[in-house]
Amino acid sequence: VEKPQWRRGRSGHHVGVTTQRRTLLLVFGGVFAAAAALAVALVLVSRGGGDTSPNGTVVRATVLAGIPQAGVTLGNPAAPALTEYADLQCPYCGEFDRVVLPSVIRDYVRTGKVKLVFRGLAFIGPDSTKALQAVYAAGEQDRLWDVLDGLYAVQGAENSGWVTDDLLRQVGERVPGLDADRWLGATDSDAVEQQFVAASDAAAKHGVSSTPTFFLGDRRLDLKALTPAGFRRAIDPLLGE
Amino acid sequence: VSDRPLRVAIALLAAVGAGIAAYLTWVHYEPGALVCLRGSGGCERVNSSRYAELAGIPVALLGLVTYVLVLASALVRSLAAAAAASALALAGLAFAGWLVYVQASILDAWCPWCLASDCVLALLTAACLARLLRAAP
Repeated sequence: VEKPQWRRGRSGHHVGVTTQRRTLLLVFGGVFAAAAALAVALVLVSRGGGDTSPNGTVVRATVLAGIPQAGVTLGNPAAPALTEYADLQCPYCGEFDRVVLPSVIRDYVRTGKVKLVFRGLAFIGPDSTKALQAVYAAGEQDRLWDVLDGLYAVQGAENSGWVTDDLLRQVGERVPGLDADRWLGATDSDAVEQQFVAASDAAAKHGVSSTPTFFLGDRRLDLKALTPAGFRRAIDPLLGE
Repeated sequence: VSDRPLRVAIALLAAVGAGIAAYLTWVHYEPGALVCLRGSGGCERVNSSRYAELAGIPVALLGLVTYVLVLASALVRSLAAAAAASALALAGLAFAGWLVYVQASILDAWCPWCLASDCVLALLTAACLARLLRAAP
């Protein structure tokens, strides 16, 4: 097979073939090594950050302090319901909790404009189920939002087995007013199971297919950006009507 | 004999791959816009997974950059460009292989868009290597 014209030497002679091959190998190896190194570096960087936030729970205790909780709700029981559908392993749900939720609580829950309602889904895997059982069980002591927040603060890699009994106990021990033994003994209670079913039914009814998804009453929030400003832009028009 | 047919094939495949990657990058920031096979749920699960980002950069965006670079290489009649594109496509394919493993073993969920991109990338890599081997001294 004849080589393409652009590959041939000017005079048609294959001058310096060895040098050309060496150059080719150098380009090929260099680009491959650079791409591989970049991929490995990015993987290492992304593994290194964000898994734990030791002070998160302490900070959040202040965010939640003094706001009434009842089961899955946070805030004034008479206020309109802002329902969050979330999976404890979903990174965006964790990001929402860490980045956006404090401002939502400050601006909308403390002011009585809305009450937050948590609807947990467990579609990512076994760790989702175990974490969600713990969260719902905390609702029986009206500490759901504290445990939820504590778990998001230490959110681990999906389905890595990060939701261990030890981790749950550590999270629970930081929650003021939570009876950790009673809490951990109630993770497979009928009440917890009923919450699973209720959330699953509500998600199916509203056509929730991804998390986090938010509804003000029956109206879905069109969230363009997972930032405090993005959340305000989504909820303010609905509250203003 | 010109290598034009191969370069055209590479350009077309890279353009298709770039289209898929651009869509996945967009829905990474606009999760509500994601269209997936009915009832599979795999797209959401994979695209909202922590493996969908590396150091804050969407994996789909990395794919988009790769496709665009390979597309650019197809526009250049240079052996070095052919070598660079082959290496880039091969590295991308290896990375895509790891992501397939993540979908199968860790997430237990399949994203059809990602798999379509993987198929395009496999063909693209083959075309790039064919171009390189055919032209190499």
